[in-house]
Amino acid sequence: MTGRNLSLSLIGFSLATMMLSHSACADVQGPYGSMFSFNGFGTAGIVHSSDDKADFVATDFEPNGAGYTRSWSASVDSLIGGQVTATVGPQLSAVLQLIAQQNYDNSYLPHVEWANLKYLFTPDFSVRAGRIVMPTFLDSDSREVGYSNPWVRPPTEVYNANPITYLDGLDASYRLHLGGVTNTLQGSYGRNLAFSFAGGSKFDAKYVWGIFDNAEYGPALARVGYLTSSITLNSAAALFDAFRQFGPQGAAIANQYDIVNKRSSFLTFAASYDPGQWFAMGEWVTSRSESFLGTSNGWYVSGGYRAGAFTPYLTYAQITQRSSSSPGLSLVGLPAYLAPAAAALNTGLNEALNSRPDQYTLSIGVRWDFLKNLDLKLQLDRINLGAGSAGTLINPQPGFQPGSTIFLLSSVVNFVF
Amino acid sequence: MSATNRNGWILIALTLGLTSGVAMADVVVVVSAKNPVAALSRAQVEDIFLGKTIRFPDGAPVVAIDQPEGSAVRDEFYNKVAGKTAAQVKAYWSKIIFTGRGQPPPSVSNTIEMMKRIGANPAAIGYIDRNMINDSVRVVF
Repeated sequence: MTGRNLSLSLIGFSLATMMLSHSACADVQGPYGSMFSFNGFGTAGIVHSSDDKADFVATDFEPNGAGYTRSWSASVDSLIGGQVTATVGPQLSAVLQLIAQQNYDNSYLPHVEWANLKYLFTPDFSVRAGRIVMPTFLDSDSREVGYSNPWVRPPTEVYNANPITYLDGLDASYRLHLGGVTNTLQGSYGRNLAFSFAGGSKFDAKYVWGIFDNAEYGPALARVGYLTSSITLNSAAALFDAFRQFGPQGAAIANQYDIVNKRSSFLTFAASYDPGQWFAMGEWVTSRSESFLGTSNGWYVSGGYRAGAFTPYLTYAQITQRSSSSPGLSLVGLPAYLAPAAAALNTGLNEALNSRPDQYTLSIGVRWDFLKNLDLKLQLDRINLGAGSAGTLINPQPGFQPGSTIFLLSSVVNFVF
Repeated sequence: MSATNRNGWILIALTLGLTSGVAMADVVVVVSAKNPVAALSRAQVEDIFLGKTIRFPDGAPVVAIDQPEGSAVRDEFYNKVAGKTAAQVKAYWSKIIFTGRGQPPPSVSNTIEMMKRIGANPAAIGYIDRNMINDSVRVVF
């Protein structure tokens, strides 16, 4: 967490505490019920991986997880969140949400997930400003709220395509009722500055904008979304700095592939059907970047059946990278003493071009609503890594086998209050 | 079946959360007798109580009121209009609450309280056991 984020969090926590104590002491009642409401959610979980030569993590922000670092890891899925909602009138409301989970630097300092003001111009048209959701996916709104989801975690093949959950900016939402169809059109604009990923790479996204349409008809829902931004990520800066040492030819390659103000986008389609007794859903994302990240496609289908307090479910998820290669630096005409260095850089570039995950996962699990506001989930995943790929695993150690098959056993307790 | 055995089965049913179906009451949706709305469809009632609309079909504002969490009438109501168990309704609202998109309807402590609220507010809508109907309310579903 950066200094800026940390101070934001601390301000947020103080605000939350103030609002809470205010609410508890004064119990402010407005004409629409209590003015302040406090809600919380959390997940306590453990994961075991069959492979002890690399770590399974849920998002790119986690520096370590289950497998190599710990045989049983509690850091992968565990988190706690709290939220204060203030209703200032029929039209104006404010929300502040903090989440504490494993950060890139192994700390658990909370961050501000949402902090925004919402104004309802009409019952069906609203605008929010501040820290708002990055609505890339169907489940972006509540991906951290395990209790609201059927699985232990959203399929990483799709959701890790954009691990960033919030945006600093504004969004507008317009709802239209057409016969039995409720259509919600949303537009978002903003930026994300100074993110740190595991491994310490720095990330900025500027000029983020997106448009999302959501149509609901009874138990059926369809969604289409497009999100694009100008991103900068220094994870391969050393490689491209080396290319720049090779004159205009090297600089051209560096400019083509390095992630400095590069347009990147996500196109998503999702559908779900939930008549109550059972549910089925699916989501597809193509992520495209004008950099060495290239293009990759992820999708999943998932379904479950509700038998009393038990909901067994099955999920299949896949991510594939569109493979690409580059001839790199031309060795022709290079002085003999530089040729090996240039050849090594070309190899490094082609490795980077194929560094996106390639894997598919079959998950089987069950959710048990064993007490009011509490559920317990048990999930078994079989992850098949693509040929030569480490998939979404991190921290590979000597002896790690790319392309192998890995089993994960996960158990979580989710709660809301 | 011995009493001990029977209690054992009840305990198991409780543990499995299957008791909601045992004591089925006939639940009806009601508004104030002063409210002009004559009837609502199941889908309209569902939209109102799941916060998907904040108006009656005629455009008048609507204020939904819930029975207490865990009450049989509430569980049956959501099962009947939305096909959802109490846990599913909670999971649904968790999605809405934690993105700041809304709050669930306020709940009252019992049916008497529900009748008072509806009597006092022509915009209010609630649900009660059919046996509790009186002249101050009209059944709309």
